[in-house]
Amino acid sequence: MSAKRLQLLGGVLFAAIIAIPVFVESRFILHMVTLIFFYIAMTSAWNIPVFGGKMSLGHAAFFGLGGYTGAILYVKFGVSPWIGAAAGVAVSLLGGVVMTLPLLRLRGPFFTLASIAFAEVLRMIAIDWRSLTNGSVGLNIPFKPGWANLTFQSGKPFYFLSLILAVAVVFVAYRLRHSALGFHLRASASNDEAAQALGVDTRRAHFIALLWSSGLTGLIGVFYVFFIYVVEPSTMFSLTLFSLQPALNGIIGGIGTIWGPVIGAIVMTPFGEYLRFYLGTIQQGLNYVVYGVVLILTVNFIPGGIVSLVRPNRSNRSDGSGSSSDTQEAR
Amino acid sequence: MELIIQVLVSGLLIGGVYALISVGLNLIFGVVRIINFAHGEVLMLAMYAAFWLNKLFGMDPYVSALLVLPALFLFGVLLQRVIVQPIQEASANMQIFATVALSLILQNLALIFWKGDFRTVQTSYAMSTLEVMNIIISVPRLIAFLVALASILLLYGFLKHTFLGKALRAIVEDNTVARLMGIKVDRLYLLAFGLGAAFTALGGILLIPFSSVYPMVGGPFTLIAFIVVVLGGLGSMSGTFLGGLFIGVVESFGGTYVSPALKEAIYFGIFILVLLVRPQGLFGKGKGTEEIGLK
Repeated sequence: MSAKRLQLLGGVLFAAIIAIPVFVESRFILHMVTLIFFYIAMTSAWNIPVFGGKMSLGHAAFFGLGGYTGAILYVKFGVSPWIGAAAGVAVSLLGGVVMTLPLLRLRGPFFTLASIAFAEVLRMIAIDWRSLTNGSVGLNIPFKPGWANLTFQSGKPFYFLSLILAVAVVFVAYRLRHSALGFHLRASASNDEAAQALGVDTRRAHFIALLWSSGLTGLIGVFYVFFIYVVEPSTMFSLTLFSLQPALNGIIGGIGTIWGPVIGAIVMTPFGEYLRFYLGTIQQGLNYVVYGVVLILTVNFIPGGIVSLVRPNRSNRSDGSGSSSDTQEAR
Repeated sequence: MELIIQVLVSGLLIGGVYALISVGLNLIFGVVRIINFAHGEVLMLAMYAAFWLNKLFGMDPYVSALLVLPALFLFGVLLQRVIVQPIQEASANMQIFATVALSLILQNLALIFWKGDFRTVQTSYAMSTLEVMNIIISVPRLIAFLVALASILLLYGFLKHTFLGKALRAIVEDNTVARLMGIKVDRLYLLAFGLGAAFTALGGILLIPFSSVYPMVGGPFTLIAFIVVVLGGLGSMSGTFLGGLFIGVVESFGGTYVSPALKEAIYFGIFILVLLVRPQGLFGKGKGTEEIGLK
């Protein structure tokens, strides 16, 4: 497909996305597409450190930190969510520093393991610190519609807000990937020693990537809380919802690429919601079994994700030589 | 003073079980070099097996080990053959995805078949205690500690003195050279995974008389086992044993003097500290630990 036709297709697609809320009144569809936008943003933010081979399964930590900050400031202190969003980013950045600094010396699996533990610790604190977080019950966002309160009668404002978030995060990811930082990260992913030998400060690169990732995830968390009106530990710090889900979207679409997370979120969000509503009501837990099976099949048969099917000549080879050769593909 | 000793003793007792579970992980991790995030789920399955054998046939949990251990040995072999072997050469991230998926599947299958209830085995000895110099010792916990210690020693002997054991240790130290020496590495992977699963299952059997089982019970144990293995060092049985005791004692003191709710925060702190100060572990001997991220 030529560049011109691709641009045309993109334009048509974008017009359709803008037009959906104008013509479609179904709350269900609006909600679903909004959710897809949120997951595109989340997965793309999660994916930034993956350029450098650092795979976190604890991003719920940043999501929860952002969401809790926004909600606590609004509910307890009456601070506008817009200021709360800035505070949420600051707090999740702080979380990013706390998690990342000690872990910069690690790579691969131990980073992943520690990231899971980090999110779990935050969940425990959120349950334990009742005076601030209201424990396991959590906080409800009072329904006072208006832009100042980031609360709306209709589903349309959040449709556009989440769309803006998704576009912004994908844009940031794109810019980062094609910046010097992006090249440093990819060099580190394919061979860290070689990159260092060439004078690349790979630790610094990983650190910056993780800060971008945690800050953006925190920002998404704030908006998400106002989207669902409630913040509570088992949802916000949920391993399956906000740590595994972005990772799953990522691998289905193609980790370490720009479009992989987008495609993964578009494919997996409706699939996940379908499973949750239909299988989940028949039999609690069945949806996650299906998820697990999909994940194992993906790892075995299309480790490069959907993106690698679209451009098979650039797909990765899992030759096992590097710790994360799978992040090096489809550039 | 008495309280301190009491807390120390209960920490050591549970630490023995942690050591046993971690020895299972160390075998799998050290030999197969796979990051098995589903380790705790093997423990969960063993606990359920013991629970159901007791519930349906009135079998004593300790007796049920005779059935449960071989069953989970086979289960471990099966996991290695079906799930792990196809991705043995894939990157670490792919392996993590596969074993996380496995853990998700096992947890939720347990939820589907056995519901989310906390289940306990009722035995005549669950509440019995010994009193030694004003220190109260729970009998099932003491049994757990002693059996764990004995089985770790047994494994130690096996690894040290038998041909198979030596072959396994050779793989831990350098699996390429081991392969060059004519060791059937792939077959020993099956053995290591099976043995690792069986040892972990034994941990579950020892836990069931004094703790409940539920689908998500394994999660914290996976974390504990990884911390202990990192602490003790890859391929070191004595290191793992001491690491297990250490975590047990820390948890016991933390639970008594700080807050039981922040247990995981304490584990996390230790984990980070060890990785920073001595990433190869206190007694580590595995060559090429960088390759699995221990750097």
